[in-house]
Amino acid sequence: MQAIFHTAVPCAWAERLGDRPWPLLPVANRPLLDYWLETCGEQGVAEVQVVLGEHAKQIEDFAEDGARWKVRIHYTFGRPGETPLDYLRIAASRGMEGALLYLGGPFFMRRRQAYRPASFENMEPSRIDAGDAPLFLFGRNADEVRALLAGGAVAGRGLEAIHINPFPIASIKAYYTLNMKMVGGEFSRYVTAGFSSGDRSSIGYNVRTPPSSHLQAPILVGDDCRFGAMTTIGPSAVISNHVIVDAHTELAHCLILQDTYIGRNLEIRHKIVAGKRVVDPLDGTVVEIDDAWLVAKNRPEMRSEDFARYVILWFVALLLAALQVVPFLVIYPLVRLRRIGILERQLFHDPHTGYINLPGLRKLRNRKSIVFSTFKALSLDRFPWLLFVLQGRLFLCGQPPMRHPEDDGLIKQLPHYYPGAFCYQDYNKDSDRLVDSLWYAHIRSLYEDLKILVKALVSRFLRAGR
Amino acid sequence: MLVNCTKQDGIGIIQIDRSLTAATVDSFRDQLGSWQSAENEVKNFVVDMEKVDFMDSAGLGSLIAVLKRVSERGGDMKIACLQKKPRMVFEITRAYKVFEIYDSVESALRAYR
Repeated sequence: MQAIFHTAVPCAWAERLGDRPWPLLPVANRPLLDYWLETCGEQGVAEVQVVLGEHAKQIEDFAEDGARWKVRIHYTFGRPGETPLDYLRIAASRGMEGALLYLGGPFFMRRRQAYRPASFENMEPSRIDAGDAPLFLFGRNADEVRALLAGGAVAGRGLEAIHINPFPIASIKAYYTLNMKMVGGEFSRYVTAGFSSGDRSSIGYNVRTPPSSHLQAPILVGDDCRFGAMTTIGPSAVISNHVIVDAHTELAHCLILQDTYIGRNLEIRHKIVAGKRVVDPLDGTVVEIDDAWLVAKNRPEMRSEDFARYVILWFVALLLAALQVVPFLVIYPLVRLRRIGILERQLFHDPHTGYINLPGLRKLRNRKSIVFSTFKALSLDRFPWLLFVLQGRLFLCGQPPMRHPEDDGLIKQLPHYYPGAFCYQDYNKDSDRLVDSLWYAHIRSLYEDLKILVKALVSRFLRAGR
Repeated sequence: MLVNCTKQDGIGIIQIDRSLTAATVDSFRDQLGSWQSAENEVKNFVVDMEKVDFMDSAGLGSLIAVLKRVSERGGDMKIACLQKKPRMVFEITRAYKVFEIYDSVESALRAYR
């Protein structure tokens, strides 16, 4: 059996939800393409042909070589002017061995309770169209495929017979409905290892919820999300990866797409929110809100603000370095002489040059020492980093500098990287570096930086020696 | 003019002609303020938002400020003809709990009787 996925087909409704190509739009927090490839893996499909279009890179970056699903993916580009039907006819005329599964548009195979993966091989030939183009096609051999393409064969019950409900996602409303059905209970039919369906909910990795946040099942929450105090999440909320929900906000019967910031004291019900777009799924009305206090894309570009912030904090760093230079020159030689600690160069990621060697403090002996406590209390271990701030290689406050190669995975998830001499981790030891880095990228401001600096200096001073 | 103010049965009808956003709230406030100064005896208002196709948090804030000012003087303010997109902003910001919203200016006026 082989599969052909045509991802170059345009989809007008998906474009209204942002830049994400329709094959990567999440259904219950998993891209649509993920389900297709999972089906291929279950059915023992060895070869998958993915026809690429405008969003080739994003799709290729996601699916890679298909090893995750135990399939081999071959990528091709659709020829200009060639319709999916033309492509299929050419593929069928070249001769094919075994069955063919074709998917060429936003289409979801909704599993009924009785569905069993093994039953796929017994499926009758079938074809489901969207307009003139086939959306789904299955034939057990080349003859059946050619007959289906010619429209001569009587299509069988196909998917229905093996307990799959064919669900063409023809509109924003259908997309929303599908997600609501998934959070309503269908999601458990697709559950893979690592998810619990005890209360029909799923929470991803690195999700921070304060004790005052109220989670009302069923909900599906992706990875790296952060909910503010007194938030109410659910019921029936599908929240994708990298979503920040500010304090006192309620989310219910809604779909929040990834990289979205939801402002303070809002009420999102029966809506889709994708970055700064709020969509009413019932009639497809899209409101684009250029107001970062309400809803916004999680990682905004703020070049002029960043520059002004950097200039002001450069002078703060200069002041701090001037205050630290004498204590550092006196205390650090003592720390070294007593062989308690040493500043060693370590390789970190750098947003401009790729990598940077930063001196980090390594403790040589685990014993109490007034000299070492004073060194730490005055944050003198950060003095060399302040010099890097003055050289323009680091920010005074920001995200924790990411090590190479240990943090290579984290850095890939941070489109905006602001390595700082001081960060949340300096005063909050429970800080999750990825979530807090995403949070910082969203709310970075002069006020936030000064807050980090003061809290870090005070906390390090009080903690030193303990 | 962003704001067109008239009076009917002693009730002020404030017709807003454009989007109410951070860019327009100042002129909204000024124009409405000068009309209110001239028509000091008017206590109740209907805001006709038929031509407002978008509104942000600044626009909403200015409406809430007007409502507060009117309430302090013992009056009331009702919203009429709220269009789909501003209505969505009202919904997500919970502003629908603060304002009385009517489908038409006439029904808002009737509610005062």
